[in-house]
Amino acid sequence: MKWSAARAGLIAGNTFREAIRMKLFLLMLILATAAFASSFLFKEFNFGSSELKFIADFGFGGMTLFGPILAIIVSAQLFIGEIEHRTALTILAKPLYRSEYVIGKFVGSWLITMCFIALLSICLIIALWIRESSIIQADSEAFTTGRIINWIQVCAFALVQVLKLSMLCSLVALFSSYATSTIFAMSMGFLVWIAAQLQYIASDAWSAGSNWLYTVLFAFASLVLPNFHLFEIGDYLALGETIKLVAYLKLALYAIVYTAFYLSLAVVAFNRREF
Amino acid sequence: MTYAIEIESVTKDFPLPVRGRKLRAVDSLSLQVESNVIYGLLGPNGSGKSTTIKLLLGLLKTTEGRCLINGKSVYEPSIRNEVGYLPEAPYYYRFLTGIELVVYFARLQGIKKREALAQAENLLFRVGLEDAKDNRIGTYSKGMLQRVGLAQALVGDPSLLILDEPIAGVDPIGAVDIASLIRELKEQGKTILLCSHLLSQVEALCDRVAILESGRLLAEGPLDKLLVSEEEKTLSIKNLDTEDRERMVKTAISLGGQVSVSRISLETLYLQLIGEKQRKAKLEREDSDQ
Ligand SMILES: Nc1ncnc2c1ncn2[C@@H]1O[C@H](COP(=O)(O)OP(=O)(O)OP(=O)(O)O)[C@@H](O)[C@H]1O
Ligand SMILES: [Mg+2]
Repeated sequence: MKWSAARAGLIAGNTFREAIRMKLFLLMLILATAAFASSFLFKEFNFGSSELKFIADFGFGGMTLFGPILAIIVSAQLFIGEIEHRTALTILAKPLYRSEYVIGKFVGSWLITMCFIALLSICLIIALWIRESSIIQADSEAFTTGRIINWIQVCAFALVQVLKLSMLCSLVALFSSYATSTIFAMSMGFLVWIAAQLQYIASDAWSAGSNWLYTVLFAFASLVLPNFHLFEIGDYLALGETIKLVAYLKLALYAIVYTAFYLSLAVVAFNRREF
Repeated sequence: MTYAIEIESVTKDFPLPVRGRKLRAVDSLSLQVESNVIYGLLGPNGSGKSTTIKLLLGLLKTTEGRCLINGKSVYEPSIRNEVGYLPEAPYYYRFLTGIELVVYFARLQGIKKREALAQAENLLFRVGLEDAKDNRIGTYSKGMLQRVGLAQALVGDPSLLILDEPIAGVDPIGAVDIASLIRELKEQGKTILLCSHLLSQVEALCDRVAILESGRLLAEGPLDKLLVSEEEKTLSIKNLDTEDRERMVKTAISLGGQVSVSRISLETLYLQLIGEKQRKAKLEREDSDQ
């Protein structure tokens, strides 16, 4: 029997369908759109072009905060929830490789977070466009150089978030592969999210290391954990700086390597698991 | 000849929370199941029936020994094309409808979408769920879950069915339906391994049974042999030697009578075997307590 991407795809599709029918996803969506809608409440202030920057920051912030939360909850719930409910027994008794199951679960939950980020980006672009248009109407002199909002940059930001979330989803898949409860996998996910956010501290300490024990420890931490700080390009974009394509490709490679690493570990753990 | 199922001196230990201690759920068990029989696995709660079944599906790994299905290792995923499995107390995606679930499982086995839908409709009809097939599984009752689990096990027309308590939670009429479905499957040439606590059902259904206790095999064989009562056999030829007995039988037949060797019920046998064990264990415990 050959390894089949079609079977992994079916599992991913079913995972996606489950998440769509889960009220949780809807809740996140409502929360996020409410956040956007609230950015329109600031309509009364007229900051001119800096107001647009405010909205963009707000939107980027929303993606950076809600994206990982959704990624962790959805991956843990969809992966280990299935094991806890013993639905996985039936599936794993079917002719399929366990690695297909792991990859399918990962792809399904990653797709969900991807859709979520895409929806947020669309909302953000629309919000920015509407505000920009009304500001232009009120005060056309401020926009002599034309529209200042670059929707391509919003998309670039979203794409970078999706790359970052692939690492997070694969990490949660790894925890789910040997955890025995959803709550454990979720807590580990949140812990690791924070750790990855602070990873640059460890890697700074590694390079500045004086004590060999700390050096080894920090070296380990900074190699095993990805540095999420690298993916925070919102500040550059908001400052109007452009980021070179090469930098994006580097980020993509970085994310792919870490994702592949965590997924391989997840497959190894899952293959050894008993049900 | 290759057996449908072969269990070769399998032992399964589970680690206990206490360090270094182990729970032996299956203890050097050897079983062979020929194809096209209905085989019953019996035993009290915790005797290792479900564990044995999970070992057969590669869901658990044996500590010692090995399991084969159709002569091949159970860790080879392709053999499961030929196996349908109903877990005990099955639970499925709440958010799918019955038909969506069965279609999903069919497609996982490589069946094309249209064919999968046709098969799912047919199977759900066979297990008596045609009215509820479009309802979410979250709303199903226990017996309905059992039925959808059975439909799912039959997807892809496997030659071996492993059913962990297929009748548990199903109403009496439903139980009769499922029993006749199992018989029908046997007529189609399939092999069925099932475990159940409903002894009268098992007795009516199975060709062969194995009785487990604490992971060990207590008795095994065809029901016809196991259930022949020694006591009643002697009773029927009381005070006669073999010749006389034969003459007696002949006479009885010539007189138009019917002669048969009387059987005890499976329940009696089970209670004899297990009850005795448990009584002994209890006495020993009481002794050691004093
Ligand atoms: N995953 C596990 N970890 C530890 N112990 C286990 C595990 N699964 C089963 N056991 C133990 O193995 C023994 C056999 O359990 P099993 O489920 O096979 O019993 P069973 O014969 O199916 O019982 P029942 O009739 O109640 O279904 C039990 O003592 C149980 O506690
Ligand atoms: Mg059981």
